[in-house]
Amino acid sequence: MFITPLRICKQALQHVGRNVWLSSATVLVLILALVSVNVLVGVNALVERSVRMVEDRVDMTVFFRPDANDAVVSQARFFLESLPQVKSVTLIPPDQALTAFRERHQDDPDVVDALAELDTNPLGATLRLTARQTSDYPFIVETLKNPQFGDAIESKTYDDNAESIHTVEQVAKNVRFVGTLLILIFITIGILIVFNTIRVAIYTQREEIGIMRLVGASSSFIRMPFVLQGLLLALVALVVTSGIVAVGVSWMDPALQPLFDDGQPAGLHQAFFGDWVSLVLLQASGLGVLVGFTSWLAAGKYLRR
Amino acid sequence: MISLKNVSKVYPPNVHGLREISLDIAPGEFVSIVGTSGAGKTTLAKMLIAEERPTHGSIRIGGWDITRIRAREIPLLRRQIGVVFQDFKLLPRKTVFENVAFALEVAGEPIRRIREIVPQVLRIVGLEEKMQRYPFQLSGGEQQRVVVARSLAHRPKILLADEPTGNLDTINTHDIIDLLEKINAFGTTIVLVTHNREVVNALRKRVITLADGRVVSDQAHGKYVLS
Repeated sequence: MFITPLRICKQALQHVGRNVWLSSATVLVLILALVSVNVLVGVNALVERSVRMVEDRVDMTVFFRPDANDAVVSQARFFLESLPQVKSVTLIPPDQALTAFRERHQDDPDVVDALAELDTNPLGATLRLTARQTSDYPFIVETLKNPQFGDAIESKTYDDNAESIHTVEQVAKNVRFVGTLLILIFITIGILIVFNTIRVAIYTQREEIGIMRLVGASSSFIRMPFVLQGLLLALVALVVTSGIVAVGVSWMDPALQPLFDDGQPAGLHQAFFGDWVSLVLLQASGLGVLVGFTSWLAAGKYLRR
Repeated sequence: MISLKNVSKVYPPNVHGLREISLDIAPGEFVSIVGTSGAGKTTLAKMLIAEERPTHGSIRIGGWDITRIRAREIPLLRRQIGVVFQDFKLLPRKTVFENVAFALEVAGEPIRRIREIVPQVLRIVGLEEKMQRYPFQLSGGEQQRVVVARSLAHRPKILLADEPTGNLDTINTHDIIDLLEKINAFGTTIVLVTHNREVVNALRKRVITLADGRVVSDQAHGKYVLS
């Protein structure tokens, strides 16, 4: 009952073993295709990380009037915190705002004198908020027109920063689009390379296929060893590539960290090892389906009668 | 055993490989099919193993109508007909033993039986001492004997030899024809496609002569009559 599957496995191993150079060349091409896709995934992760760092630096400050009471400010704060578009809200009370203002202008005698003239704190409370995405700021600005606290707001920095926020947003969008496009192009090139490599590998064995057919081998008996052979080579390529990527990421992640001045890791480690099982499975299934299908198709070409 | 009725083969656009061929070959016969190049010998041989389909007519082998044989039935047919070609068609990366064994492996024969049959057929062709050699380590005559051994592995009722001596010198040609006669003596029907005048004349068996895709002569103890 198991004779045929065992013979198919034996055939596949013999194909690999007795075509060492061809097998090695095929594995090499598969590795190159996988590495190039992984390199692009890494580059994309770094670009994404840079964009995120710039986006994280964009924030908005809401200045309340000095006469705005604490209840209104608190209400505005809770309202903003409840919005899914808002990542964080920090309240700076009027006293703290004044202290910070004094420290900032301690070397400016005119400002110091002017403050001394005043009996009361001229500054109101301040809310500093960051959105989850830069594209959320216009929406947040709209929500600040809420009549429950809109009148208590003196000014917002968004109006000053709107242009730069928009620029960051556009750059980020373009970078993501180009990154995705490049990955798709590399995957397509990889597919074509793998497809042709397997076809050439089987082309060199076309006479053997003809002989197998002549001695009465069924189509599946001829095809399956080639499919299995392709899958074995793909597995070897995947293991080697995983090793190369693991070593490369471990070396490059700390080396690239100084490029980001926020003190956080470069992000390659997270991109590759964060969910490495899914990443490996995705590549394994993609390559497996591609190699298996190509081998089946290429071997079939020489099976006609 | 083999029966062709009004078989024609037309290749596009309008090239006639065979024209209205009808013939019967009885079990145990040794038949030589002769003719000049392009006479239709190889087309006829290919039809017997379903490598080509006739455009018209019908072909029966052992009572089995293979005229419109389905693709998945072709391996079953080929396991019943031993085939020997001029260019040997051995698997270069398999040893002599493995080449012969392969014909049995594809039919799902158990390993115990393969180990029993392969040395037997290699003994018949006189190559039992060279079982572990690869084809490139053998002479042309030896390679052709491996092919004969492989074709015998299934114990076929019919052995089809298409120009089996085309690449061999006189001595090896003589050896291969002797071998075919020996196999025929065991009861296997032999269909020998050849244009070797000496071989055909020495055999003194049935000769079917083809010319321009037609049977022009069919003699029970014939000779090679074409110039």
